[in-house]
This record gives sequence, C-alpha cells and structure tokens, in this order.
Amino acid sequence: MIGKIVKGLLGASALCAFTIAAHVAQADVIDDVKAAGVLKVGVKADYKPYGYRDPSGAIIGIEPDLAKDVADKLGVKVEYVPVVSSNRMQFLEQGKIDLMIATMTDKPDRRKVVSIVDPNYYSSGTNVLAPAKYGFKQWEDLRGKPVCGIQGAFYNKKTGQEFGAEIVAFKGTAEAYAALQAGNCVAFVYDDSAIVAKTKDPAWEGYEMPLPTIDDAPWGLAVQLGETNFHNMMGEVITEWHKSGRILELETKWGVANTPFAQAMHEKYK
Amino acid sequence: MKKQEFQTDLPVMLPVTAKTGEGFNFRLKPWHGLVIVGFCIFSSRLGYAQSDTVQTSSLETLVRWMPLLLQGFIFNLVISVCAMAIGTVVGAALGLGQISLNGWVRKLAWGLTQFFRNSPWLVLLFFAMFLLPFELRLGIFAIPLPDWLKAIIGLSLPVMANVSEIVRGAVTSLPSGQWEAAESLAYTRRQTLWLVILPQCVKRMLPPWMNLYSILTMATVLASIVGVSEVMTLTGQALAAEGGRPELLAPFYSFVLLLFFIYCYPIARWTVYLEKKFAVIN
Repeated sequence: MIGKIVKGLLGASALCAFTIAAHVAQADVIDDVKAAGVLKVGVKADYKPYGYRDPSGAIIGIEPDLAKDVADKLGVKVEYVPVVSSNRMQFLEQGKIDLMIATMTDKPDRRKVVSIVDPNYYSSGTNVLAPAKYGFKQWEDLRGKPVCGIQGAFYNKKTGQEFGAEIVAFKGTAEAYAALQAGNCVAFVYDDSAIVAKTKDPAWEGYEMPLPTIDDAPWGLAVQLGETNFHNMMGEVITEWHKSGRILELETKWGVANTPFAQAMHEKYK
Repeated sequence: MKKQEFQTDLPVMLPVTAKTGEGFNFRLKPWHGLVIVGFCIFSSRLGYAQSDTVQTSSLETLVRWMPLLLQGFIFNLVISVCAMAIGTVVGAALGLGQISLNGWVRKLAWGLTQFFRNSPWLVLLFFAMFLLPFELRLGIFAIPLPDWLKAIIGLSLPVMANVSEIVRGAVTSLPSGQWEAAESLAYTRRQTLWLVILPQCVKRMLPPWMNLYSILTMATVLASIVGVSEVMTLTGQALAAEGGRPELLAPFYSFVLLLFFIYCYPIARWTVYLEKKFAVIN
C-alpha cells in the first residue's frame, strides 16, 4: 500500500518537475530571437485599449499590434507575456522578455535600468476622474483626501508627496473604479486618455476630469541594457511607425481619438 | 410517601456528559447548489438593474468570460496538485527525519519543519518568485523556470512542513505496543516502520492531509499577487477588458468563489467521512 502511494506521488512530482524544456543560450538578443523563432514581448493585459484580453484569453490592443509588427519584421512569431507596472522592468532585466511595450512612461531613472528607445512611440499625461459634486479645481484640492490609484504607477508618488493626497493603490482598474463609485476615495488618478474615455461613458455621468493634465510624458518601449543592435533597430521601427502613420491608424482601429502627440510625430517624420 | 430513590442534586451522582454543543448536522444537497447559483444570478441581475444603462447584462458578460476563467481555475488545480505532490514527498521524508535515531538528522528536520511551518505562505511565495532565477544554467543548457513552476515550488514549502508534522504526529500517536510487537518478531527498525507503523499511519494521516490539500487549493489564488495567470489574475484582466464596470465585480468574484467552493466542499465532506470511518472510538 505504502509502495503504491509513494510510486504515485513520485510519478506526479516527476511529471511536474520535468515538463520544462532545455534550450541553448546565446549572446545577441536578435540572434537569440531568430534562433528561437519567437519574440517575447511584455505587454499589459489589463489596460484597455493598449493591451487587454479578449474572452478567448488572447491579448489584444494597440501595443500587441505594435509588437506583432516588430516580430513580422524579424520574421518570427510573437509571444505576448502579460506584465504589470510593478514587474515589467524586472522581466526585461531577467531576460524573460526580449522587448517591453507596456505603457511605460519614459523617466530618467528608468533609463538607468532598461534601455528605452528613442524616439518615443506614444504619450499621455496624468489626470483624475472625480465626481463633479466635489468641484476640484487644482491638484492642491486633493490634499489630505483619499485618492485611488494603481499599484506601481509613477504618478502615485507625485500625487501623494507633492499634492499631499492619500493614495489608496489597487491592483486593477476595475477595483479602483468600484472604490471610486463606492466613495472610498474622492478621485482616481490615472492616464488622461483613459479618463477622457470614461467621462464620455453614460454610466459615468456626473464624473469629470477637472484638473489640468500634468506630467504629459512620453511612453518608451524598452530593450535590455547593452543590446545596441536591437536598440538601434527598434529606433528605426518607431520612426517608421510615425512616418507611415501606423500609430494613428491603430488608435482609430482600437477606438481612441487621435492624440496630439501621435499627430505631431507623424507630421515631424512625414 | 413520596418516591425519592435516585433523585439527587449532587453533580458527582449525575451521569457524565461531554460539555460540548451538538454538531450541526447540515448537509448540502444538490438542490442547495441550485439555490446558490440562483442567488448569484439574482445578485448579478441586481447589479444590472442598478447600472441602468443599455449595456450587456452582467450575466451575459460573465458567461462570455467563463471558458477563460475555467481555464484559469484548472491552472489553479494543476498548481495545487503539483505543490501537494512535491510537498508530500519531501514532507514525508522530513517527517521521518524528525523521528530519526540520528540526532543531527532529527534536529535538521525539526528546524526545517518549524521554519517553514511558521512562515506566512505569501512570504514564502514571494521568496520563491524573486530569489529563484528565471532560468537555471547548467553548463551551456538553460532550463527555464516559468512563474507557475516557481509558484508550485513556493507553495510546496509550507505544504512540506505541514506534511512533515502530520507524519511525525501519526507515527508518535501509534501505541508503543506496535513497536514492541514488531521488535519481538525480530523486525528491523526499517521493516517495522515500513511494514507495521506506516501502513497504520496512512489511515490517521489521510484526513489531515486532505484538509491541508483543501487549504492549499484555496491558497493558490495567492499566486495572482506574484503575476501567475491563474483564475484571480484572469478575473482582474477580464474586468479591465470590460472597461472596469464596477457592477461586474460581485458576479465575477462570486463565480470564482463558487468554483473553489464546488471543488473544496466535497473534499471536506469526504474528509469528515474518512475521519468517522477511521475513528477508533465511535
């Protein structure tokens, strides 16, 4: 009896331990990707419409489409790795993903950790969604009040330290929106592009985007530090996106109003 | 004359009764399931009524996402089964180490058991996630360690420690007569353990072991915090894809709750059944 149980358990453990394949590691990431035939791209899976899941489980959106363009150019398949704000740079550092296109704001301190590619591919600013009844006019009005945010977002720090708001950080947007509606916080600090979409939603009547947008900062896609070839290649790819109006096209495809940044970049590189 | 025999107020004269409340002998029957499901549907309809906009109802939305969420749930089950298997194998060895005749082995096994048994599961999970590399380099070969594998390793640590205690407890709970009888038959220590002690322990260990499995299964959602694409992570992402509609939160999370309940409740019932079956005194 014992023997049988032990055998069964050992079998199960062995099965679990060895469902992993071995592969040979190499130097340059472009060679690696071509040898593997797969480009692993870190994208958001909870950020509509930049990267989110459809009911089949596939990750779709503007950034997955951009990632697909890169993979097509390299002649390989694309694999989307869902990342969140708090782990995206670690994944890239560890080499778990080859490329990161994950709504990341381009910041000097981030450039020390990962290799952010110029020119920037997108841009957005920070604003809050708040019930109109509170009548917020400026960021200082948030002082000492609870404000919902998303874990790992850079603007939590600024909203908290500079404007004195008490940040209540949630894992996902659904939880943050629910908390805002339930009155757990007086405002939700988030990307302005997403907030504009919400204020147009009839379900969010009575809510507004009252404050001046701050930190209108460009988004950077990134590769691992030291991957010069891949970095340069991505620079060309982004320039090509702006030149051909690919970004504007994708915005229209995924139902976002064309942003001034994307239009300006298209004019610049046309 | 009044009949007075056998009447007394002295507590010592009264028959002994256990000072515990009677068990609550309620069993869920299939029709209760319908009631629970009905309640969930009702609550999601309620959410729909409150939203008073022309959107797809919460229930329809949930049905659309169900296949994906079920896939995520199966992933939870895979994690729980694997973590349990690894934890049981290592934990059994550790438990036997705790009753070893070698003092050093005993101390080491005791230390490991106590350390992992008294650490929070989430903290152990974080350690496994961030201390293990994403791939193991063995010479020129690199074995990738995906997140789910790290989660399995992280969760198997507390399981291991708990199994170790279950094994040690079961062995020491056997009457010493079993050891004496085996010795009188000239069994070696190994033979005694393998042929006499452990077969009797299996009966005693099974109910707590199954309990531990239930707890582990429910703890697998912790993996969502460290980014494994299991049912909780997918629920969050599904909610985000639906544009973060707050009225969807209750039906979606109720669905996840229901999945775990449906899976764990029969295990709990079965454990109770086995406990009764193996009980020495009924």
